[in-house]
Amino acid sequence: MSLLAVGAGIAVVGALGAGIGIGIATGKATEAVARQPEASGDIRTTLILGCALAEATAIYCFVIALMIIIMLQ
Amino acid sequence: MGGLSARLMEELNCETVFTIPILGGIDVYESVVVTWIISAVLILISIFFTRNLKVHNISKRQAIAELIVTKLMGMVENMIGEEGKAFVPYLSTILLYIGFANIFGLFGFKPPTKDLNVTIALALMSIILVEAAGLYYLGIKRWLHKFIEPVAIMAPFNILDIVTRPMSLCMRLFGNVLGAFVIMELLKIAVPVIVPAVFSCYFDLFDGLLQAYVFVFLTSLYISEAIE
Repeated sequence: MSLLAVGAGIAVVGALGAGIGIGIATGKATEAVARQPEASGDIRTTLILGCALAEATAIYCFVIALMIIIMLQ
Repeated sequence: MGGLSARLMEELNCETVFTIPILGGIDVYESVVVTWIISAVLILISIFFTRNLKVHNISKRQAIAELIVTKLMGMVENMIGEEGKAFVPYLSTILLYIGFANIFGLFGFKPPTKDLNVTIALALMSIILVEAAGLYYLGIKRWLHKFIEPVAIMAPFNILDIVTRPMSLCMRLFGNVLGAFVIMELLKIAVPVIVPAVFSCYFDLFDGLLQAYVFVFLTSLYISEAIE
């Protein structure tokens, strides 16, 4: 059981990439809004979409971790 | 821990509600029944809004209906562009269905998108539509030629795309809905009052609608790429 927990924990480390990606995207979006406040509507839509796509990798990690805990028990 | 994983397991499994006694018994799962309920709700809303339609002197109800339809169609049309107008009704239907399915958890139902079978079916429908649209709009020769664009060495990756695209579509939707559900369950165990209600706004409402939008956006992206 304890090794399973360690494995699930390691699987979730992949969420690191999603965090970095969303951070970079949000930083760039902030810059873009600061430069062109009139385009903030378009930027927001694109940002939310990009975040949702980047988040998917973290979701895959979560699903794999869950499968490790549930299936291998 | 043991109790939680048993509970998660129970929630992951989709129970059989009843069995149709033909062809050796067809199992009808909970997700199918909830889908019927969603269809019934959507049909009733449509019937309510489209009664007594007039051209002049429209009622308030008709004004609301027109507003909803134009906004929805406009949103989908923005995604797919002018040349993909024929796909707008299908894509808006999928958007409505996934959106309703994701927020149906708020009313005490199990969201059907938490069943992997439902999301696989949706993703398969999408990829079949994408390939069929490519075949119909381009003809078989140009459709086949698409596989060796931009260079011939890309062919294996382009063929792999047919498999990975629906897989990522269905896994994204399934994982998001399941992830939101599990986090909400954990929150309810940790802090049973007030806090879950706040987080439910994000996980059930915002994330559910966002995932419906992302699913439709990606499908329309694939379609417009296939027919150009």
